[in-house]
Amino acid sequence: MINDILRTAAYFIVLVLLQVLVLDNIHYLRLATPFVYLYCLLKMPVGISRSQMLIFSFFVGIVIDMFSNTSGMHAFACTLAGFLREPLIRLIQGKDLPIGIYPSFYTFGYKGFFRYVLLFVAIHHCALFLVEALSFFDSYYLLLRIAASVVTTVLLIMIFELFNFESQKIGE
Amino acid sequence: MRKLLDFLLRKKHWFLFIFFEVLSIMLVYRDNLYQRSALLSSANYISGHIATVTGGIRSYFHLRKINRNLQEQNGKMEMELLKLQEQIDAMLEDTVSFKGYVKDSLHTEYPFQFVLAGVINNSFSQVANYITLNKGKNDGISPDMGVVSEQGVVGIVSHVSDHFSVVISLLNPKSKISCKVLGNNSFGYLSWNGHDIQHVTLEELPRHAEFQKGDTVVTSGYSAIFPAGLIVGTVEGFSKEHDDNFYALQVKLATSFSSLQNVRIIRNTLQQEQLNLEREAKKND
Repeated sequence: MINDILRTAAYFIVLVLLQVLVLDNIHYLRLATPFVYLYCLLKMPVGISRSQMLIFSFFVGIVIDMFSNTSGMHAFACTLAGFLREPLIRLIQGKDLPIGIYPSFYTFGYKGFFRYVLLFVAIHHCALFLVEALSFFDSYYLLLRIAASVVTTVLLIMIFELFNFESQKIGE
Repeated sequence: MRKLLDFLLRKKHWFLFIFFEVLSIMLVYRDNLYQRSALLSSANYISGHIATVTGGIRSYFHLRKINRNLQEQNGKMEMELLKLQEQIDAMLEDTVSFKGYVKDSLHTEYPFQFVLAGVINNSFSQVANYITLNKGKNDGISPDMGVVSEQGVVGIVSHVSDHFSVVISLLNPKSKISCKVLGNNSFGYLSWNGHDIQHVTLEELPRHAEFQKGDTVVTSGYSAIFPAGLIVGTVEGFSKEHDDNFYALQVKLATSFSSLQNVRIIRNTLQQEQLNLEREAKKND
């Protein structure tokens, strides 16, 4: 239990700092911004209660909002993605997963983990950019931005996962 | 009853979900309407201090450009000084005895003052862009003050905390600044299209306004935020708006938002008086 909290806190601090200090400044071709902080939501243990997951995702979203002056937008998108995480895992992996394992290449398999990340990120980005479009709408540009950001975010999360010591240790 | 309670408890994540989503949407809307709370913006204590550190590091990257700008400005001012000196000399030659300049005793103080501030966080490639500055309430900054750089207009202060302030930059759909073409008194509003960080549109300029490509666009001075005549950019092209009574001008911005470092916040000592008077006038309608 304590281990889980410490681990979550470590992921949270590292990823949020990385996001607000480095990645928020990246806008490839003025289209794509990677939101790698989602990795700390993706790596929550399987079988965590849905209420806990919701509270944590909302909290992560609101902290990102504070730093990037987008009050409420990230919170909205994160809450939605956090809410749909468990049905998503069940959809991709079936119901026979042991409680408490962490999603990774080793536990989900390469294909399964990729699909899990892709869907999760796509849900989050669609919600985020649609809420943003409430104040400014340009449909073609919007679609392009969603697609470009999903690609960069998924790519970066995959690279993160490949270099994540924790996943490798568990895999042995 | 018991079954109902059981049911509610089992489905509590649904209620939590709806609660959080409604809360987020309320935050988004409230920010669009009032934008006055500094707590949930980058002007709050923690993010402000983190931004100070990173802004300090980032400031080294643009030193070369800043240096060049300062030298250019210095050169311009020196030229102006020489010109003025020449004028004074010419006047002195014509005058038998020069008694010096006597101040008008009815002189009122110029209501606008500058407060220097540093940019600690700057976004320019999102749909709505904000700039965080390292001056806040303790330095006398309050919302609705104008911000300019040495190149031109930057934006308007929206959130203020004790030590920091957040500026809505020109590159934000929320920003509407009243501007005119220099030498011409009809005015329009600046708005941003969301893509191009070098161009904005001057909308609702009446058809009878005369202008040419390359003319300077300046602030109109009607809003109590900016004094009249601050440079915004230059005219690059124009199109008619759909109802044919107005022009929309493409304006190339004078300020380069990607390398903002030092800005000036404009304090208008008469702003409150003007706003109160205007509000009173409206109340009697």
